[in-house]
Amino acid sequence: MDITRRDFIKSAALQSAVTTAAVLFPGISFGAWKNVDSGAIDWRKTPCRFCGTGCGLLVGVSGDRAVAVKGDPNCTVNKGLCCVKGYHSVQILYGKDRVNKALVRKNGKLVETPLKEALDLVAGKMQETIKSHGKDAVAMYGSGQWSITDGYVSSKLFKGCIGTNNLEANARLCMASAVTGFLTTFGLDEPMGCYDDLDHADVFITWGNNMAEMHPVLFSRMLANRKSKNNVTIIDLATRTTRTSQAADKSIIFNPQTDLAVANAICYEIIRNDWVNWDFVNKHVSFHKGKTNIGYGTQDHFKFKDKAETVDWETYKAFLADYTPEKVEKISGVPAKDIKYLAALFGDPDKKVVSYWCMGMNQHTRGTWINNLVYNCHLLVGKISQPGNGPFSLTGQPSACGTVREVGTLTHKLPHGVVMKEGARKMAAKIWDVPVENIDPKPTYHTVEMFRALDRGDIRFMWIQVTNPMVTMPNLNRYRNGAEKDGRFLVVSEIYPTPTYDVADVVLPSALWIEREGFFGNSERRTQHNDQIVPMPGDCMSNTWQIIEVARRMGFEKQFPWSEETYIEDIWNEYIQFHDTPKHRMAPYKELKANSGLQWPFVNGLETKWRYHAKYDPAAEGEDFDFYGKPDRRAWIWLRPYEPAAESPDSEYPFWLNTGRILEHWHTGSMTRRVPVLHRAAPEAYVEINPDDATRMGINSGNKVKVSSRRGSVIMKASINGRGRPPRGMVFVPFFDESYLINEVTLDAFCPISKQPDYKKCAVKLEKV
Amino acid sequence: MENPKQKVGKVFLIFAGLCILALPLIVLTALSSEPEEMEASVADTQNMDFDDKGQAVFASYDQISRDYLEGTSTGRTLSEYYSRRQYPGSPPFIPHKVEEPDLAPIECLTCHARGGWTAELKKNTPITPHPEQEACRQCHITVTEAQLFVETDWMSVAPPRLGRTSLPGAPPPIPHELQMRGDCVACHVGPGTVAAIRVEHPSRGNCRQCHVPVTSAAPWQRKPKS
Repeated sequence: MDITRRDFIKSAALQSAVTTAAVLFPGISFGAWKNVDSGAIDWRKTPCRFCGTGCGLLVGVSGDRAVAVKGDPNCTVNKGLCCVKGYHSVQILYGKDRVNKALVRKNGKLVETPLKEALDLVAGKMQETIKSHGKDAVAMYGSGQWSITDGYVSSKLFKGCIGTNNLEANARLCMASAVTGFLTTFGLDEPMGCYDDLDHADVFITWGNNMAEMHPVLFSRMLANRKSKNNVTIIDLATRTTRTSQAADKSIIFNPQTDLAVANAICYEIIRNDWVNWDFVNKHVSFHKGKTNIGYGTQDHFKFKDKAETVDWETYKAFLADYTPEKVEKISGVPAKDIKYLAALFGDPDKKVVSYWCMGMNQHTRGTWINNLVYNCHLLVGKISQPGNGPFSLTGQPSACGTVREVGTLTHKLPHGVVMKEGARKMAAKIWDVPVENIDPKPTYHTVEMFRALDRGDIRFMWIQVTNPMVTMPNLNRYRNGAEKDGRFLVVSEIYPTPTYDVADVVLPSALWIEREGFFGNSERRTQHNDQIVPMPGDCMSNTWQIIEVARRMGFEKQFPWSEETYIEDIWNEYIQFHDTPKHRMAPYKELKANSGLQWPFVNGLETKWRYHAKYDPAAEGEDFDFYGKPDRRAWIWLRPYEPAAESPDSEYPFWLNTGRILEHWHTGSMTRRVPVLHRAAPEAYVEINPDDATRMGINSGNKVKVSSRRGSVIMKASINGRGRPPRGMVFVPFFDESYLINEVTLDAFCPISKQPDYKKCAVKLEKV
Repeated sequence: MENPKQKVGKVFLIFAGLCILALPLIVLTALSSEPEEMEASVADTQNMDFDDKGQAVFASYDQISRDYLEGTSTGRTLSEYYSRRQYPGSPPFIPHKVEEPDLAPIECLTCHARGGWTAELKKNTPITPHPEQEACRQCHITVTEAQLFVETDWMSVAPPRLGRTSLPGAPPPIPHELQMRGDCVACHVGPGTVAAIRVEHPSRGNCRQCHVPVTSAAPWQRKPKS
């Protein structure tokens, strides 16, 4: 279109008018927002609400409103930079449908109810259920978004006072394989390294991990490292081409599940070329074998217990003979030369190597195994526990480490140790001031089995806090139907209406992260404190205080004695007694309040950046490495074979279904979809299809496609050549959108060791509609 | 009958006329000193981003051509500028089409590192104040949907007002945060900038010899030793 002279004058006049008006009328808002009318901005520190990176934010507060965000330059995690979610995170407080009153279902409808009455009902219903169906008929389901104190009081109430191990968290769906990976290889949970590795390493390998979208701040730190040096290599090893693959120096695509074979082949090549760090291996590594053909857990009451058998070097070498690069090329689709290249990167003594992974390896029916196998790659060459060298398991939730893993809000765990161990039970009973007999030595249900128990009727009462299982459970139809059955009572602590809220009998209004004081713990063992920065709306209450209120109503005043003014500090001081050794000492409350996060073990006023090395870790003995988590003080190399996925494509269901997140939305979108700029960028979910498959099937971008499995189906728009590109024979669907519940399609198969479901692999078919 | 286009044009012309009439007022506003208004958008902890990156800022200034510095043919307005943000200083969304796959370091920085005329969009490109950050789409995202998922009660502080000087003719202080926005010339000179915040003396290379940030709204108070 040509611009006429008249149009030009008009547009120039418009612009000058607007510009002039900006000067003319002070107070006129030229922003897209309504203005608060108060004075100065006060900047207050907090960790970010979203992923496990744990960026430090400075929240700008004006009056009683959060009005702006900037990165906290004092926080070593992000050094002043955030991602788009972090910059807009405070907008999650202000969705117009915020839940700020208690709701109780009356005649099928959720009705506003005084909070006190709702809390009475929750406590009464729990006592009644325990009386009629036993203590193991009540359960609590939380998440890695719980503040540390929320998880701690849940454990104290359920395990210490009620005496049931029916306590789980959605971190089971997210981090369980990472935990069992750490425990089987090192004997202690959580990474040895820290984010400083991003500045030190020469080689980065992302294993099934789209860091550019899921951990953007860490990824841009990696890019900054590459830019500042001239010898940094980033390898993206994945099943789908993503933004991470685009930014990487090399993208390697493997067939789903065959990462097991690829990792073994890397080890085979390291040994064949004698790149083994013999000094390290002889002194610090031992070799072990577990059970094989271990199943997939798709049946109710599935049980599995691994058994370790110590083996020698020759047995390990013989085991790897099945994994030559040439053989593995046939299984994995990765060219043998690429496997050799990866091995050479590990093998080069002058290169420091870091591996990063998250859900690709953890949501895996052999999740524990693939965690073990990546550790093997690092252990053979001794590239671990030093600046710039090490395997690093990333987390997806702000406090999956801090709350679920460190407090131990899982059925078998206590804040220190496991329920099966008498010593751990005694310690907990003493600190909690309960009889030791209260603590049941037998674990009950892991998450999937817990929802199966709810469906079967073994569990009758469930309290859900800070998570949205009616979007996130795999094979969702079964678990939603189960939750809606008669005789089930669901309490949901929420901030917004969600599909889980929709099936609740009681909804308790929760305070959001900066509306209360709390702690998160990020991926790198960093504990981060935030003050209450803005007031809670309506009847909202912190999750911790909700649990305290209910516990007191159930007669446990003695165990929950704190005042509303100091309870967070008091609970912290009680909790850290569980970790008071140089292996896990937590920073004191005062220090956490003053700093933008501190890493444990925090000993003599110092953080521990690298564990298991005497130079950096106060708990390590000797000259250098000391893997003190295991009784033989060695890290364990495991012989873990390749075994196929629980369900693979066949002639009827010819595509792999892969699910995950995208940059703009965090998990089920219950928060990020209420942030205007994030919703406007990514308003709905879609199915990514490979362009060749799409052409063959006559599907264009934007066409409606039905994605179905043996369990369910979803009709949604196709996305072709979007930001991600699955290989031929795979589709990808993000799970943030409650209008397209892709988890009705996924399979509830899980890793038999970690009990973590595999959301990345099941068989589906596509139909154009 | 008058067509709607002409009608709209007339309204604008009348408005523009009014603005011209109000010119003396503008001048008065610009010259008046209103220190208390500074509070609204000012931090009490100022980040020393500029001084950290001082060398890079001077280097980028050196690379900008004289023609660019003197360029004035901007089409951007302040209201357009703020309509892309959620609060003063939030990362703006991307107002134009971008390609997938994401090749941000090449595709974004080709234009936004150095600016210039884009024939495709018929606009002068604004320059980023932080070209060292290459993962652009970590913070800047597109808009594909107009409707909200749920309405929001979001509010924030007013954007800083223009023309604030302490004395008539004195250089105005810096009313915004400098974190990631410490490279003055990126946003305040050249044809890609917003006209209302473009400086008239772009060839003076050391902006902060005259323009200083406001780090505290409170006046200094002596605390004598007792």
